[in-house]
Amino acid sequence: MRRAKPDLEHIVNNATTVYSLPLIHDRLTQAINNPKASFADITTIISEDQGLSFRILKLANSPMFGYHKNIDTITKAATIIGTQQLRDLSLAISVMGVFKGIPEELINMTSFWQHSITCGIVARILATCRREANVERFFVSGVLHDIGQLVLCTAIPEQLAELIMQCRDSGQPHYQAQGEAWGFDHSSVSGEMLSKWKIPQIIAEPVANHHSPSKAVTYPVEAATLHLSDLIAHALQAGCSGETHVPPLAEQAWDLLDIPVSMLSTILKQIDAQLDETMAILFGKEHL
Amino acid sequence: MGLISTEKLAEGLVLASDVLDRSGRMLLASGVELTTRHIRMLMAWGIAEADIAGVDVPQQQPVASSKVDDALLQPMEEELKLIFSNVDLEHPAMAELFRLCLLRKVSGETRQA
Repeated sequence: MRRAKPDLEHIVNNATTVYSLPLIHDRLTQAINNPKASFADITTIISEDQGLSFRILKLANSPMFGYHKNIDTITKAATIIGTQQLRDLSLAISVMGVFKGIPEELINMTSFWQHSITCGIVARILATCRREANVERFFVSGVLHDIGQLVLCTAIPEQLAELIMQCRDSGQPHYQAQGEAWGFDHSSVSGEMLSKWKIPQIIAEPVANHHSPSKAVTYPVEAATLHLSDLIAHALQAGCSGETHVPPLAEQAWDLLDIPVSMLSTILKQIDAQLDETMAILFGKEHL
Repeated sequence: MGLISTEKLAEGLVLASDVLDRSGRMLLASGVELTTRHIRMLMAWGIAEADIAGVDVPQQQPVASSKVDDALLQPMEEELKLIFSNVDLEHPAMAELFRLCLLRKVSGETRQA
């Protein structure tokens, strides 16, 4: 008998019992949403987690922000970058920690996070070009967009391996093959995971629709940005999350973003300046 | 007329249409002959490109300079085309992305060599 078709809800429910966000994320969100919480309350929560503070400070002083290495305390970082933005950055860092120790036979973790971080950086640069408010949420959605692949890696490794091989040979987009075989693809798994973790829809919806940006009705611009960023990250061949080809462009998304074609070369130049250091900070082996 | 990216603009070029910012406010009118000050201003405003009179569209630059020989370029182009096989290269943005990626590949390769 053939294996049963994998069930999205079942996979996500199982995964959320195994992977949970660190408590600090809830505490931070509560403090930020609580009008009575002071600025100091928020910075104290972050400062209590030494590993997190360390990475946030390194990130704040990296070329991504361009503040010339002057941010030496979390209070300073929160003042300059913003408390919500720090919450978003800490979310990216926390989730990367959650998926530590995933078996690497199917997907190499360094390669996976390199693709994700590249996508996050591209999304952040695109958002900056479009003068969006709070570009960190774009960065986070990029870093998190493919976590569904990691969940699938542990939930249904054989089926995933089969499809990865199949697509490598046939050239069919990986997400399409998943959709045809299972009735859902990794983007839905990513989106469902984030929703289960109560991550705001402004991040979860674009992630869930990064291969079908027109389906994101509440945050179409965010979804279009993420869609294009994923495509660019694939085109640059920086890392790999299981997909070996550049996914097709949803032309509506491109039209919606309204970015001049000539901007692409500027964007690519900026990625080079940021990628290596951001990768080292977020995925580096250094711990406190 | 044709779109030229701001960093490639030069003194003396003439605008073929108005330069507007994101909100539609006019920064420079069509017909203006660019000066160094104009160009610096466009950069400060974050304008990516301007429509210039007397330039042919599309302004496609060749993929690589003459330094790279075809023997090196061709296999890379083939390889990249394979990876881009699901992408419509007729779309101007995708054509540009392909060109940039090929350029990166070539320059990466020559740097290693």
